[in-house]
Amino acid sequence: MTSSTRTASSTPTAPRVAPGPGGAAPAAGRRRPIAWAWLPAHALAWVYAAMLTVPLYYFLVSAFKTNDEIFSDPLGLPSSLSLDKFSTALHGARLELAVANSALVTFSALVLTLCLAVPAAFAIARSRSRWAAVTERVFGLGFLVPTFAALLPTFLMSAYSGLFHTRLFIVLLLPATAMPLSVIILTQFMRTIPPEMEEAARIDGATTFGVLRHVYAPMAMPGIATVLLLNFLNFWNEYLYSLIIIGPDQAQRTIQVALPTLRSTAGTDYGVLTAGTVLTLVPVWIAYTLLQRRMQQALVSGAVKL
Amino acid sequence: MRAQLRRLPPLLAATMLLATGCAALDPQDDGPNTLVIHTQISGTAPGAEVFNAVVADFRRQHPEMHVKVVSNADDLPQVYETSRLAGKEADVVIVNLFDKTLEWTGVGATVPVGKYADAWGLRDRIEPEAVKQWTDGKGRLRGLPYIGTNWPVAYNMAVLRKAGVAEPPATTGELLDAAKKVKDKGGIAVTIGGSDWTGQKLLLQILQSYLPPEEGPKLFTEGDYCGSPAAMKGLKLFTELRDAGVFAENAQGLTSDTMTTQYNTGQAAAMSAMSSALGKVPEKTVKDTVVSGWPVPKDGVHDHPTMIRSFTAAGLWLSPNGAKKLPLVKKFVQYMYSEKVVDRFITEAGRDMAVRSGTVPKDFPLIAAARKAAEDKAVDKVMLPDVHIPGAATQPLINATAQAFAPGRTPQQICRAMSAAYERTN
Repeated sequence: MTSSTRTASSTPTAPRVAPGPGGAAPAAGRRRPIAWAWLPAHALAWVYAAMLTVPLYYFLVSAFKTNDEIFSDPLGLPSSLSLDKFSTALHGARLELAVANSALVTFSALVLTLCLAVPAAFAIARSRSRWAAVTERVFGLGFLVPTFAALLPTFLMSAYSGLFHTRLFIVLLLPATAMPLSVIILTQFMRTIPPEMEEAARIDGATTFGVLRHVYAPMAMPGIATVLLLNFLNFWNEYLYSLIIIGPDQAQRTIQVALPTLRSTAGTDYGVLTAGTVLTLVPVWIAYTLLQRRMQQALVSGAVKL
Repeated sequence: MRAQLRRLPPLLAATMLLATGCAALDPQDDGPNTLVIHTQISGTAPGAEVFNAVVADFRRQHPEMHVKVVSNADDLPQVYETSRLAGKEADVVIVNLFDKTLEWTGVGATVPVGKYADAWGLRDRIEPEAVKQWTDGKGRLRGLPYIGTNWPVAYNMAVLRKAGVAEPPATTGELLDAAKKVKDKGGIAVTIGGSDWTGQKLLLQILQSYLPPEEGPKLFTEGDYCGSPAAMKGLKLFTELRDAGVFAENAQGLTSDTMTTQYNTGQAAAMSAMSSALGKVPEKTVKDTVVSGWPVPKDGVHDHPTMIRSFTAAGLWLSPNGAKKLPLVKKFVQYMYSEKVVDRFITEAGRDMAVRSGTVPKDFPLIAAARKAAEDKAVDKVMLPDVHIPGAATQPLINATAQAFAPGRTPQQICRAMSAAYERTN
């Protein structure tokens, strides 16, 4: 507890003015000199930030344009702000149903991933046995399996299990693909938790599950938030397995499978396609913003407790 | 109370998992009275709204049946094939005859439909040329032809007249002359999606300039382009046109979308496009457009400009699962071939049908003009190579033809790349 207390007391009172390039903090009451040496860095940072907004702008304005406007004047403002293309995208590909399916699959898979990865990481992090190290390396081997190599056996498994063309199979599959990264990240976070914390909890009568729940899980919250964020993006954007396993049924297909139905060999309406993509990105943006904030909060609170 | 609240998250998770697997959002599952249709006519594809409307009408007419429609775009063949492997494929598939689907009948992924075409009285409704294109080398009718497409050349006469060209070019010499004049005025003579199937179609159309029609099937099936003097002469003509600047700059990187945009916005004087793309030409450009064929060399095998007439844009395929539900399939197929439904596809969606019909798409003047040109003797019809090229060679061949649009590629280099596309088929 000593170290965490020290950090907690020192963090809020840390000087707010950062030292200059020379390392010396400016004296109180004196005007801060302009750090011209940093000007190129600032300029480059702003240029980079501006460049990031260009594709976003292009993406948003394209949702209001015709194909001819998109190709002939890519960065120009749209001639109309009609929401027809959004309506066409929603209606044409039943995107509302697809977003609901993606949310269902992603949420269920995330819950399952955490239920499996947190106890696994807890066991590996606490164990001093060489088998724990071996187990950790086995999880690491999961990175070596290419996505395409697993496609055929996964398809066969879904067909033989009777779960082909169901979302349940994808809900079970996605955590399996996420386990290597999740376990390794969480194990590293849990290893930073001092064993004295567990000893103190044990003295207070905590069971092993109690130690995980009341000591390790809260203190590994930065890792859990990170794993949630990374897996959320991976699960939401998964295309190939959803296409093959879940199939074309509008009632079941995810957003990544539904969106391409807005393409056509006879000529794609890119305005409709980008409008559909914008619609499907809104939930991602909301979830990303929420999780990012939680992750930052968790990082700060984790640092305080440590 | 707190203990109950603690149990809530796991309970919620379990409920979600159960809901995912069992309580499908679509309450009706496949059964003996369910007809599952897997279609490519969906989303924003031309005719998708008409298809949805006619299926809705069919449901109303047949309340005893449950009709379930599932859809994909370009990825339909891949999804169907895996569904077939798992024995869960749809009963009827509506997809084009191209690439992977060319192999379906041969490998048993779908059932030949010749006997059903006769038994259900459909053969007389279908264009004879369409039946020919859908029949494989062993005489099996792969699917029931439904939607076709023409590949005319659209000429923007406003751009041509501005450059001093009064008529659409009919010969190679006239094309070269017109291209020079258009380029001198800063325009694009012929726009083409060199990197995709539009470029492949045009190159293979030009290649047929010197190719006797009877040599075509063997050439496109086996891919020995370097060994065919007629094909080599056609490739030489192609490189001459390319090097004279007939095609849009950097055509090897353009797609069908950039092609239609360059034409629709009046940047290009001509484009070789399938007729469904003509339905999207804006009104201003429609007024200036004349539909004709591709100019031919005077010493070639054709007397008039050429056009590809294809009936492979979409057909109704019968799956092994569908063969177990023939009464349901028959009702649906006969309904789709009824005059009323076919007319709706023509008049409301401007589709060229592989079904006999005298209906004219009045609201789609360029499509009507393309159809008239296809039936006119002033335009020669050339072979549709797609139905002869093996499925495994289709995509590699498109890659090879894309390279052909790059400056500096010789006819020898092009023919070798095209023949190499067939390596995986042997």
